[in-house]
Formats: sequence, structure tokens, C-alpha cells
Amino acid sequence: MFHRKKIVWLLLLPGLAGLIAFYVAPLIGGVYFSLMDGTFANNFVGLANYERVSQNPMFQLGLKNTWELSLLCAPAIWLLAFVLAAMLKMLKQRSVPFRNVLLLPYLMPTSAMLLIWTLMFDYGGVINRLVVQLGYERVLWLEEAALRVPIVLMYIWKNVGFSVVLFASALEAVHPSLYEYASLEGAGWWRQAFRITLPQILPTAFLVFVLAWVNAFKIFKEAYFIGGDYPTPQIYTLQHFMNNKFAKLEYQDVTAAAYLFAIGVMVLFALMYMSKAVRSPNT
Amino acid sequence: MSRRIRRSGRLSFSGWVAMLILTALCALILLPIVFTFLYSFFPKGEIESYLSQRGSYDAEKWLDVLYSPAVFSLRQYYKIFIEDPTYLRLFCNSAMYAGAILLGQGIIVPLTAYALSRFTFRGRDLIFFCILVLMILPFQVTMAPSVMMLRWMGLMDSVWAVILPMCFSPFYIFLLRQFMVSLPSELLEAGMVDGVGAVRGYIHVILPVCKPIIGAAAALSFADCWNMVEQPLVYLANRPNLRPLSVMFNQISTEGADVAFAGSALYILPTLLIYLYFQEDIVAGIQLSELK
Repeated sequence: MFHRKKIVWLLLLPGLAGLIAFYVAPLIGGVYFSLMDGTFANNFVGLANYERVSQNPMFQLGLKNTWELSLLCAPAIWLLAFVLAAMLKMLKQRSVPFRNVLLLPYLMPTSAMLLIWTLMFDYGGVINRLVVQLGYERVLWLEEAALRVPIVLMYIWKNVGFSVVLFASALEAVHPSLYEYASLEGAGWWRQAFRITLPQILPTAFLVFVLAWVNAFKIFKEAYFIGGDYPTPQIYTLQHFMNNKFAKLEYQDVTAAAYLFAIGVMVLFALMYMSKAVRSPNT
Repeated sequence: MSRRIRRSGRLSFSGWVAMLILTALCALILLPIVFTFLYSFFPKGEIESYLSQRGSYDAEKWLDVLYSPAVFSLRQYYKIFIEDPTYLRLFCNSAMYAGAILLGQGIIVPLTAYALSRFTFRGRDLIFFCILVLMILPFQVTMAPSVMMLRWMGLMDSVWAVILPMCFSPFYIFLLRQFMVSLPSELLEAGMVDGVGAVRGYIHVILPVCKPIIGAAAALSFADCWNMVEQPLVYLANRPNLRPLSVMFNQISTEGADVAFAGSALYILPTLLIYLYFQEDIVAGIQLSELK
């Protein structure tokens, strides 16, 4: 560890300059920008932009869908990842290849998988064959509200492995002597699960959920490839709204929309930071 | 890095059930990838007629699942590489972006992580906190302000608008910082006694030790660049010819159905190779993204 060396600022310079130029300064400058009317005179209009955007029905739709889709994905990924990680633990050292296969889709580009995905969810595709086998009617997966299903499933397929890795390492870190001791004391499987495993991995579980949630805002990729610039209302996300406003050069609206969305994200960040507080007594 | 606990290798009954379920699930997960590669060898006529059967509303008809081509064909690969340069040009765009971004990150990210982890100075925790906030902010939030900035800098609709912001990606700074913080302090102290300064300590001590995590970060970052959609879509709104394959692939695969699967397979291939080479490092890297 180097203490109070002046050279650290030289080392930090390129990184800090870039972070400030491309992230921090725009974020702060954007606040000022969002309070102006954007005309040639550039008058101060206070919160008028925010009011106009928050009343825009397309913004409301995009915001609602972004939260809804992320709330479909995050709990599903969280639960699935936990179950899979628990199964991986049962396999002991044989779990490595399985864990690695689960992670593979995380690196696959979305657009390359799209074609095979739409074939699977076609009206005459394999998914509908399965649906009929189970005794239900065929579903038009690629239209209207049902379109959410292939999109959410593709997102889960791609991203569940990331959460599995986090869960699996937390489960492995639980010291085996805890279980041995509990067995000696006569605690059964359920008691061990709820009294040892759960409290031990709670901080990680919390973090995985928040991370899955924040990352799920990226579901725009899937929605964009299947639905294009103007998809059916059920999968119209905030990113669609922003991209279309950009195309119309209505920058004030986009900036105001971004900050309105940021308020919700900051609440999530506070949650994640709390998870650090939850963890610290343990470590 | 793996803290696997080695106990007796024998599995219980429930262990075998878990193995069975996981095997089935892994097979299911691999199927879309396997079929993409399989269909890439189907001849033009067969795949075109197959794809044209899509989207019918006829409740009598089913889309067959094809398992093997009538003729094993490499013609579509020939078309991609030799006849029609559209695909290859976009592929090169993607490679250019990935290469430039990885190069930029390779210079910036370890250096910043080193300064934030092996030095004590005033304001360090504040800087780290800001990086955490930036890491969490989704693109929807940072996009609008950074477009203003890029416009002011005159970089909009140029490749730099996509490359430069990505070079300072907060997530990878965070990831490397997490790794460097966990390194034992003796590592540098031994050198400090011999008068090794901060710069030589970085080049000769820290960088060699960080090789695996840098590999993991590079692999993850490559997958990110290879799949980036939002940035080029917004920053290159008026320059479709500069866009990478990730954005344009959808369009060219609807125009030429015969090369669609071959294009997909070729597009997957680099990430697949990187995954095969780096898989253990990637797992270790993801484990580091836990906030400690």
C-alpha cells in the first residue's frame, strides 16, 4: 500500500478524465439542460419538461413496461438460479461442467439467437407442439401480449447463468462443519436449509436479486430485435420511447425521461448498498 | 480461485436426481446453439422453403423439425466470405469496435483500478462510490446526457461516440479493483523496501499477478461489445454503414434467408471460442462482482 504519494493522481488522471467527460459531467450538465426549453433563446422553464414527459402516454407505457418486464425477469431468474445452484452443490466436484454450460448463453449475442428462437415459438413450432401435447390450444406467441413470453424466456435463458455462479459460490462458502455439527445435534434437511443455509447466504441472495433486477432493464435488446422500433404496446419499453424521441430531435423530453427513470433506479441502488451493510457483520 | 470443498466423490440418491435434471436442462440450453450450427449447413433451397413456412396461421400445419440436410452444403459460407461482402463488412465493423474498446480498456481500466486499490489518498472512497453509482445506472439514464456531451464534442455519428465512453466502463474498473484489493499487501511491500516505485510496481508486480482477472474482464467485455445494440443504435443514428453486426444482423438475415443461419453461426463462433478458452476465469471474475 502506498500512502499519500502524489503520483497516484497521475495514474488516476486518464481514467478520471474519461469518467468525468463521458459520465459525470453529462449527468450533471443534463440536469441544467432538462430545466431549459431548448429553443434558440433557451429560457428557463423549471420543471415544465418533467411535467410534459410524465403526462406523455407513451412515456407512461414505456416506464410501466420496463418495470413490469424487469419484475417478470428478476424474480424468475433469482428463484431458478437458487434452485440450480442448490442442485449443483449436490453434485459436489462434478458440478463444474454443468455450471459452465449454464453460463454459456451469457456470452451469446442476442441477434444471432433470434432466428432459431422465433422458429421455436412459431405457430407451428416446437413450443406449440409441446403445448398441444400438454392438452392446450396453440398460442400465437409472436403477437400481442403473448410476445412477452419468448422475450422474457430468451432473457432468462441468456442471463440465469450469471446469477447461478454467484449463488453457487455463496453456497460453497458455507462451512461444511456447520452441517456436520447440525447433523450431530439431530437437525434434519429442512432445519438445516432454513437455519444454516438461508441465513448464511442471505446477503448474497439479496444482492443477486437487486443485480438481476437492475440488469433486467437491458431487456430492450430482445424486445427490439423481435418487435423493431414500434413494437406492440405490451413490449414497448422506455428505451423505445427514448430512441423514437431522439429520432424526432426532442432532446429535452429524453433527458427529462432519463432523470425520471433514474429516481427509481437510485432506490434500487440504495437497496444494493444496504445489502453491503447486511453483509459486513459476517465478514 | 475456486473454493470448492472436496469431500468424498460419492453421490447420494438426491444427487443422482439432481444430476439427471441438470443434464436434461443443460441439453435444453444448448439446443438453440446446436441447431443454429446444424441449420447453417443446409442448402439454400431447403432452408428458404423451410423459413417460408413460418408465420402460417393454419392450425392443421406443423413446422417440421429438421435434423439433417438433404445435401450438406457450404455454399452459404462461400457466399458470405467471397460473393457478398455485406456480411463480412459488418463483421469487420464489430471486430473493429471490440478491438478498439478492448485496447482502450486495457490501458485505462487496470491503471485506474490500481490507483484505487493500492494507494491511500483523500477522496478515494468518494471516487469509488461514484464508480459504483455509475455502474448501476442503466443505459436509459446515461444515454441522453452523454449524447449532449458527444454532440458538443462533435463526436456524434462517428465511431468514437461508440468507442470512447465504453473505454471507461465503470463495471470493469470495479471488477479489477475488487481483485486488486484482495491481493496481499506484502506483494508490493517487499518491492518497496528495494526501492521499487509505484510505476514499476504496477508493471512488474501487479499486472503479472492480475493476468487471470484481466483475461476474465476482457472475455466479458468482448461479449458485451459483440452484443452491443443500444449504443450504436443511438450514437450512429445517421450512419448505418458504421454500425456493427449486432445491430444490422436482423436486417440482413431477413433479406437473405439462405445465409441467415450461416451468418448466425459465424457470429456466435468468436464468443464460443473465447468462452471455451476463458471459462474458468470468467466464473472467477463473476464471483468477484459481489460487493465486499
